[in-house]
This record gives sequence, structure tokens and C-alpha cells, in this order.
Amino acid sequence: MKVARWAFAVWTVGTAVLIAALPWAARHRLPDRLATHWGFDGSAPDGSMPLWAACVVPALIWLALCAGVEAARWRAGRDARAATRPWAVAVLPTVGVVIGGVQAAVVRANLDRTDWHQARLSAGWVVASAVAALLAGAGGWLVSTRQRPAGPATAGQDGHGPRLELPEGERVVWFSRTTNPWLHLLAAVTGLVAVAALVALVGGLAEPGPAWALFAPCALASLVVAGCASVQARVSEHGLEVSFGPLGWPVRRWTPDAVESARVENRTPTQVGGWGYRLSGLGTTVMLRAGECLVIRARGRRTDFALSVDDAERGAALLNTLRARQAR
Amino acid sequence: MLLRLDKRDTRPLHEQVAGAIRRAIAEGECRPGDRLPSARDLSQALDINVNTVLRGLRGLRDEGLLEFRRGRGVTVAEDAEQHSGLRIRVRDLMAEAARLGYSRNDLIEMIKGTR
Repeated sequence: MKVARWAFAVWTVGTAVLIAALPWAARHRLPDRLATHWGFDGSAPDGSMPLWAACVVPALIWLALCAGVEAARWRAGRDARAATRPWAVAVLPTVGVVIGGVQAAVVRANLDRTDWHQARLSAGWVVASAVAALLAGAGGWLVSTRQRPAGPATAGQDGHGPRLELPEGERVVWFSRTTNPWLHLLAAVTGLVAVAALVALVGGLAEPGPAWALFAPCALASLVVAGCASVQARVSEHGLEVSFGPLGWPVRRWTPDAVESARVENRTPTQVGGWGYRLSGLGTTVMLRAGECLVIRARGRRTDFALSVDDAERGAALLNTLRARQAR
Repeated sequence: MLLRLDKRDTRPLHEQVAGAIRRAIAEGECRPGDRLPSARDLSQALDINVNTVLRGLRGLRDEGLLEFRRGRGVTVAEDAEQHSGLRIRVRDLMAEAARLGYSRNDLIEMIKGTR
């Protein structure tokens, strides 16, 4: 971990120095003010900065971004740091290369000009830096996920975990449900907008183009958010069944022998990247509120499925007990 | 919430379902205002016909332990915790009386005569 911290520090400071040094190194061939902003038509620049600002501002943006990412990861706690590492290692190089590439393009555009109004940005440079950034991000992601340490995400893999006292001849089932009223509200609001757009479209009050552009994303968002706003879980002799939304559909099922282990973990939205159905370094998480989550590891999978429901301890215990009983 | 059914129980299934939910309410598994799993969910999880489950739920509604609300499903009634505890004890008393050979009327007379 120590090496990683050094790598982070060197990458952060090194990139900042590079960004700041680039215009400074070429200062003899640059005008007093540098063109730093161009419109989409690719012609004359519409914004400029003095040389010192062109050095410092992009470097400061970069440093602030790094500090923000690191602060967020520290605030989220130890487990989250390990889980979000691949993201940080993928995102920071991407952003670094983008800012560095843009800085290089700006310097090149201003090179040997006497006045910033003459500077022309070549689209090739911008595209090239974007491609390089994507490659850097993909590389960072691959490197960090390959050497992922065996953190808490893999704990309990050996089939241990909570158990429940279950007398022979007794059938026990466990139910739990969670709803997030804010997501319900969001689904209602987007649904309302979608309906309004549809009514305007049918009534001929709006142009078909914008109305469709409003209706389609809002309707989709409303359905997706409504599906994630409430979740029901049940554990019975059939295994674990998780159903989403007010209609209880779609459903995900695991039979007891398809579950390798079940346990409880505390997770927060910052750890898994927000609310709803989340894919992250911790696996899949259905996150409706911070706190207790039922976490299962399916047989033959390397990642977990987690669900933020109350009373997860007994759900996990029952699932483990049923699995052990069926295995006998 | 956790529901327990005894497979060796010989009572009718709808009574067993009602008994399991009554016990869950008495033990605080579900609190007043909580929404119960739907009858369909209960029937699938317990491997019991959905009409049997509904019959059990209706019995609990008549006892005042559950409320059926349109659009909100089945919820646990206010003060259901104490009520269900008392209901369980009454049933235990009746079972014990029957075992000792007292009829329901004997039991009623016995209660009336108790000061």
C-alpha cells in the first residue's frame, strides 16, 4: 500500500509540475497572453489568459481534483478505499492526460504567434489527447484490478458466516423490504414530466422533436428509478429471492446450493457509487440506504451481490443454515 | 421478519399460517404499521396455496391484528402486539382445557365464575 501512496503522490505532483512547466518552458516563443479557449467552429479563439495564469490555473484544477478524490476516499472509510482504488487509478490518469494534452495543444496553438487572436487550435491534438486519456484510464483500471488485494470483499468465502438455530421439522422463512422515499419521489416527478410531454405531444402543443426528446429519457428514468426505489428480499427453502419495484418484478433468484456464503456488511452509498443498482469494486450492490446489507457470494463467482435491507443478519444466518442443511 | 411453521403440526394450514403471523407480531418481528409480505409471496415462500394464506390473513384481520388497505397491502394494526399476545394465551388456554376434557362452554362458565 505504501508504494501505491508514493505512486499517487508522484503522479499528482509530477503531472502538476508538467502542466505548469509546459508554457513556461516555451515562454520565449509565446505571446504575452495565451489563447486558452476556442469556440466549436474551430476558428478564432474567444478567451485568453496571461502566461503565468496559463501555467498555474490548469495545474491548480488538477491538484484540486486529486485532493477532492483523495478526500472523498478517506472520508468513505477503510473498506471503501480498497474498493474504490480501481476507480481512482483509472480516473486520475485519464483526467491527468486530458489536462496535460489540452495544455500541450494550447501551447502548440500559441507557439510563434505574436498575438493570441491569431492562435488556431488543431482538432487533431484534442482528439489525440482524448484517445491517450482513454488508454491511460483503461491501463490504470487493468493494473489495479489485476493486483487487487484480498480485502474484506473476499472475507467469509470459506463458507462461514452467521448461522441460525433451526429445529428439525420446522419451516422458517425470512422476509425483509426496504424502500427509499426519495427515489419514489424522483420516479414520480420524472414520470409526471414524461406524462406532461406525452400529453403535449398528443395534443399538438409541442414540437414532436423536443417533446420526444423529453418524453423518452424521463419515461425511462421514471421506470428505472421506480424499479430501484423499493426492494423485497425473502429467504426460504427455495433460496434467496430478490424482487424489485412496486410490482415485484424483475426478480433475481439463488437456490441455497447456488450460494457459497452469506454475511452482513455495513455499506454506504459513497462506497458503491450512489443509490440504486450499483456495480463497483465491491460487486453488485442494491443500495437504497446506508447501513446494514445482506451480502452473498454466489457459487463460482468472484464478486458479491449485496442488498441494503434491515435484519440482514438473520437473513444471512437462515440462508447459511439452509445451505448447510441441503448440503447434508 | 421471520416466520416459523412446524411441519408436524396437525392443525389446518390456514390456522398454522395465522398462528405463525400472530407469533411474529407478538414477538415484535413486525411492528404496527409495517407492511406484511403479499399473500402471493407468503404462499410461495411457505409452499402453501395462496387461498389458504388469504384465509389465515382474513382470520387475523377479524381478530383486529391486521388491516387490509387498498393499494397498501396488508399492514399490522395499531396495538397488535399486545392483542396478539393475549390471543395466543387464549388459544393456549383453550388447547389446555380441551386436553383436560373441558368444553368451550365449560371454559366460558369458568371465566364467568372467576372473580
